[in-house]
Amino acid sequence: MPEDPNLSRRDLLRGRLFGRLVQSAAKSVQRFEAAVSSAALAQESPTDGKPRSATGVGRRFALPIHRPPGAVDEVTFLTGCTRCNECISACPVGAIVHAPARFREAAGTPMIDLHTSACVMCEDTPCIAACKPGVLSADQPRKMGVAWVQTMACLAHAGSFCTVCSERCPVPGAIDVVAGRPSIRADVCTGCGVCASVCPAPTNAIVVMPLADRPATSAMQESQ
Amino acid sequence: MLTVDRRTFVKASAMAAAAAAASGSNSAFALTVLNNQPEGSPLKWQKAPCRFCGTGCHVMVGTENGRVVAIQGDQKAEVNKGLLCVKGYHVGLALYGKDRLTTPLLRKDGKMVPISWDEAIETVAKRIMANPKGFSFYGSGQWTIPEGYAANKFVKAGLGTNLIDANPRLCMSSAVTGFLSTFGVDEPPGVYDDIDKCDVAIMWGNNMAEMHPVLFSRLVDRRSRGETVTIIDMTTRRTRTSDLADHVLYFKPHGDLAIANGIAHLMVKSDKYDREFVAKHCNFRKLGPKPDEKTAPDMLGVPMTFEEFAAAVEPYTPERVEELSGVPAEKIRMLGELFMRRDIRINSFWCMGFNQHTRGTAINCIVHGIHLMSGHFGKPGDAATSLTGQPSACGTAREVGTLCHLLPGGLAIANPEHRKLAEGHWNVPEGRISSKIGYHAVELFKRFNTPTDQGGDVTTVWVQVTNPGQTIPNLHRNFRQKKDLADKFLIVSDVYPTATTELADLILPSAMWVEKNGMYGNSERRTQQWFKMVEPPGDARDDAWQTIAVSHKMMELGDSGMKDKDGKWLFHTADQAGKEVPIWEWQHYYDLNVDERLFNEYRVFSRHKHKDLAPYEEYVKARGLRWPVVQQPDGSWRETRWRFSEFDDPYVAKGKGFQFYHSVSKDDKALIWFRPHENPPEMPDAEFPFWLCTGRVLEHWHTGTMTRRIPQLHRAMPKAYVEMNREDAAKLGIRTNEVVTVKSRRGEIDLPAWIGGRGDPKPGEVFVPFFDEGKLINLVTLDEYDPYSKQPDYKKCAVTIVRKG
Repeated sequence: MPEDPNLSRRDLLRGRLFGRLVQSAAKSVQRFEAAVSSAALAQESPTDGKPRSATGVGRRFALPIHRPPGAVDEVTFLTGCTRCNECISACPVGAIVHAPARFREAAGTPMIDLHTSACVMCEDTPCIAACKPGVLSADQPRKMGVAWVQTMACLAHAGSFCTVCSERCPVPGAIDVVAGRPSIRADVCTGCGVCASVCPAPTNAIVVMPLADRPATSAMQESQ
Repeated sequence: MLTVDRRTFVKASAMAAAAAAASGSNSAFALTVLNNQPEGSPLKWQKAPCRFCGTGCHVMVGTENGRVVAIQGDQKAEVNKGLLCVKGYHVGLALYGKDRLTTPLLRKDGKMVPISWDEAIETVAKRIMANPKGFSFYGSGQWTIPEGYAANKFVKAGLGTNLIDANPRLCMSSAVTGFLSTFGVDEPPGVYDDIDKCDVAIMWGNNMAEMHPVLFSRLVDRRSRGETVTIIDMTTRRTRTSDLADHVLYFKPHGDLAIANGIAHLMVKSDKYDREFVAKHCNFRKLGPKPDEKTAPDMLGVPMTFEEFAAAVEPYTPERVEELSGVPAEKIRMLGELFMRRDIRINSFWCMGFNQHTRGTAINCIVHGIHLMSGHFGKPGDAATSLTGQPSACGTAREVGTLCHLLPGGLAIANPEHRKLAEGHWNVPEGRISSKIGYHAVELFKRFNTPTDQGGDVTTVWVQVTNPGQTIPNLHRNFRQKKDLADKFLIVSDVYPTATTELADLILPSAMWVEKNGMYGNSERRTQQWFKMVEPPGDARDDAWQTIAVSHKMMELGDSGMKDKDGKWLFHTADQAGKEVPIWEWQHYYDLNVDERLFNEYRVFSRHKHKDLAPYEEYVKARGLRWPVVQQPDGSWRETRWRFSEFDDPYVAKGKGFQFYHSVSKDDKALIWFRPHENPPEMPDAEFPFWLCTGRVLEHWHTGTMTRRIPQLHRAMPKAYVEMNREDAAKLGIRTNEVVTVKSRRGEIDLPAWIGGRGDPKPGEVFVPFFDEGKLINLVTLDEYDPYSKQPDYKKCAVTIVRKG
C-alpha cells in the first residue's frame, strides 16, 4: 500500500490526508464526496491573494474543524464563541480540547480531538447545556462529521474477523454489517469518531471527516 | 518511545488486506508477499509461530536495532497462508508493555524487594530441597517444547515425584481422554486440510469465528471462491459464528450429549450406518460397573455388542432428544440424515464447549463414535477435530507430557514398562520415576490452599508461563487462601505483573516469545520452531534456563537426584569437542543452542507411540511439520496428515485400509462408546436462576496479560461484561452498561450488562468473558470436574443477577 513517510495516523485523523485523497483514485473520491460535503474541496484558490477559509473568512486551504455536537455554522461559531471553556470542562470523557495554534483564528476554540478521545454522544449533551453563547445549540443537528471505512485497511473486509466498530458505535443504525463487513451510513453517522478510536486494525481503517458546511440556525442569524 | 516504534510498526506491518485489495480478489488467501522494504534496510525478517492461540499461524517478525518493529502474516505458512487475526497483527507489541518484569523480586516483610539472580536461584533450590515432596511445578501450553521438557525431567527424573501439572488440564484434557478412550493414543487423526475439503462443518459449541478466526476465515473463504460448504452452528448463544452459519441449532447447556446420542440412535434405527467400516475397524464399548460409591469406573470400559449398543441408544429418539436438548426433533433428524449420507464429507469441530465439561470425556467419545459409525473418518474432509486454545497445548503438555500422569512421548506413569523406558532414556537408576501419580491442577491448588497440617501437603508451587490466579475455578477457595498460610511459598516466572504474581513470594522475570529460542506444537500435530531475535529487557531470562540453573544449584548443594546413574548432571551439555558448557550460567546459556539439545534428547521418546519427530534442523527449514514425521529412503523427512489411514500414514500395514495401531482393544480397532446423557452437578434453581457460561473474546488472548497491554486491542475490548438476553434484561429492568452483580454460591462480581451485543445468550443464560483481571469471573465459577480428565466445567454453573442499589 502506498506509504507516505510524512503522514502519521494523527495526521490522518486530523484530516491531513484530505487533499491527497482528491488526487488518488477517482472512484474513492466520488464516494467520499457523496459522504462528505465537498464545500471545502470545491473552494477555488483565491484570486485576491488574501487568505481565505472554507467558510470564506479565513486562510487558504483551511480544513473544516471537528466541532462538538450541535455546533452552528463556522462563521457564527467563530464570532460567537467566547472561548469560555465551559464545554471543555463539561465533557465527561475529555473529548473536547482547545484548537491548537495551527488553526490560527480558530485557535483556542473548542474542537473534538479524536487522538485524545472520541465524542461519546451523551444523551443529555452536557457540552451543549454548558454553552452560554449558544454556538453549541440543541436546535442544531448533532452531526459533527462523517466516518468512512477504508476497506483496504479493514480487517473484516480483508477476510479476518472484526466487529468492534459496529458494536461500539453509539448511534443506532449508523454502521451496517453485511456478511461480517461494516459500512457506514453517511446520513445516519454523526462523526463522533468512536469507531475510529476503537478500530484495532494495524492501519486504522476509519477516517472521520469533520463537517464543512454546518447549517446556521435561524435564531442565530436573526440575532446578527 | 513507544509511539515512535508504533508508527514504524504500523507502517511496516504491510497488512495482507492491501494485497487482497490490489489483487482484486475476494479471497482473503489470494495474497502476495508485501515484503517490499528498500534495499539496504536494516529491517530483518524471520519466521516464528504466533505467540497466542493453538491455531499455529506463522508470522514474519521484522526486527531493527534490537527491537521487534513489524509483523506480517507468513505467506509460506500452510496454516494461515499470510492471513492473521486482529491479535496476530499486533503480536509484536506484546513484548513492549510498560510494566515488563525486569528483575527478580522476593517478598521480605510483606514487600517485594529486588534481589540478584544468584539469590533467587538459591532461594528456589533451598526451598525445594527443604521439602521436595511438597514442591510442585505448574506450567502451561505456552511453555515451549524444550522448556516443558526441562521442567518435566527436573521433576520426574530429578526429584523423583510426579508433582507437575499444567493449565491444559483446564483446557484440553477431556480431548485427551476422549482420544485415548477411542483410539488408544492422544491427538487428532486429521489435520486442518480437512477444513478445505469438507462439505459440512459442524461447530459443536465452538465459536470458531472468535476463538480460531484464521481457521474460520479458511473455512468461509471457500465460499468466496465459489465452493459450497454448509456450516452448522450448534450453540447455547448466538455468536459471530452463528452469523455466518447456514443452520443455527440452539441447545440447552449440557444438551450436547443428548444430541450426539440422538444421531447415533437415528443411524442404528435406519440401519444406515457404515456397516463395513464398523465391522472391520470398530468395537463397541461402555463403562464398567462402579468399583465403589465414590470411584468412577475405569476410563477404558468394557466391551459391549452392537445389539447392546443399539438398545442403549434406543431411548434417544429425536423427540426425547428435543426434550433434553431443546433442539427441535426435525433438526436432529436433519443431522442424522447428514451423517447417513456417504456422498458428503463431514468435519466436526469443538474446543472448550466440549472439554470444559463435567462430562467432557463422554461427549468427546460420543462424537468420535458417530464419526466412526458413519464412516465419516480418515478421509480428507471427514474428521472429528478438537481445536486447542494454547500455542503448545499439544506440543508441550500433551506430547512432552508435562502433566502429573504422563511421561514424554505419550508414555504413562501408571505403566511400569513406560517408566522403565523413560528411566532408560534419562539414564537414571531404576525406580527413580515414582509410580505415584501427582496432583492435577485443581487438586494441586486445593492442597496449596489448605493448611499443611490439615492435608495441604503442597507447600511450594513454581508457576511458569501461566496465570492460575485468574484461571483456576472458584478462586476464593482454590487460590486466595494461600495469602494467610505462612508456610506456603509461591514462585512465579512471568513477564508482566498478573493476578498470580500479586500473591507471589518470589517473582522471576522471564524472557518471552522471540526473546528466546523456542518450539511450539499446534492443534494439528504441527511442530514449529523459531530463533531468538531480540534480547529480553533488563534481567529477564529464559524459563528453561531458570529450571536448569535451579537444577544445577541443587546439585551443588548436594542433591543427588539431579545426577544420572553415572553421576552426570541431568542437563549436562557438552560442545562438539566434548567439553562441558556451563549452561547454568546465564552468560553461557546461548553459547550453544540449548533448545536443540533438549529437543533432540526428547525426540527419542516420540517413537514409542508413533509420534515421531524429525531432527531439530528439519524444523528450522519448515513452517512446522506434522508428526509422525518419518524419514524416507532418500533421507528426506515426510510429515503425516491423516493418521490411521493407509493412504497417508506410513505406520498402517498395506492392505488394511485403516489401522488403529494403538487400539485399546489390542485388535487394531477403534472404540465406539455409549455414554448416557446425565444432568450436570449444578443447575439453575429459584435462588440462582441463570446458567453462567464463561469464555474468550476475539481481541484478547486468555487472561489478557499480553493483549490488554496492546493499546489497539485494549481499546477495542477494554473490559469484561455480562451478556444477557433481552427478555431477561427487560424483566429485571436492566439496560446495557448498567452495572449488575453476578453472584453464585461461591462468590460474586460486578459487571456492566451488554444486551444484544456481540453474543446473545438464550433466556435464562448469561455469558461473561474471563480475560479481565479487574473482573475475575472465576471467583464465581464452580470447581466440579470431569472424573477422567479432571478438567473443570467453566461453562455451566448457576448464578443470579442482582441490580445494584
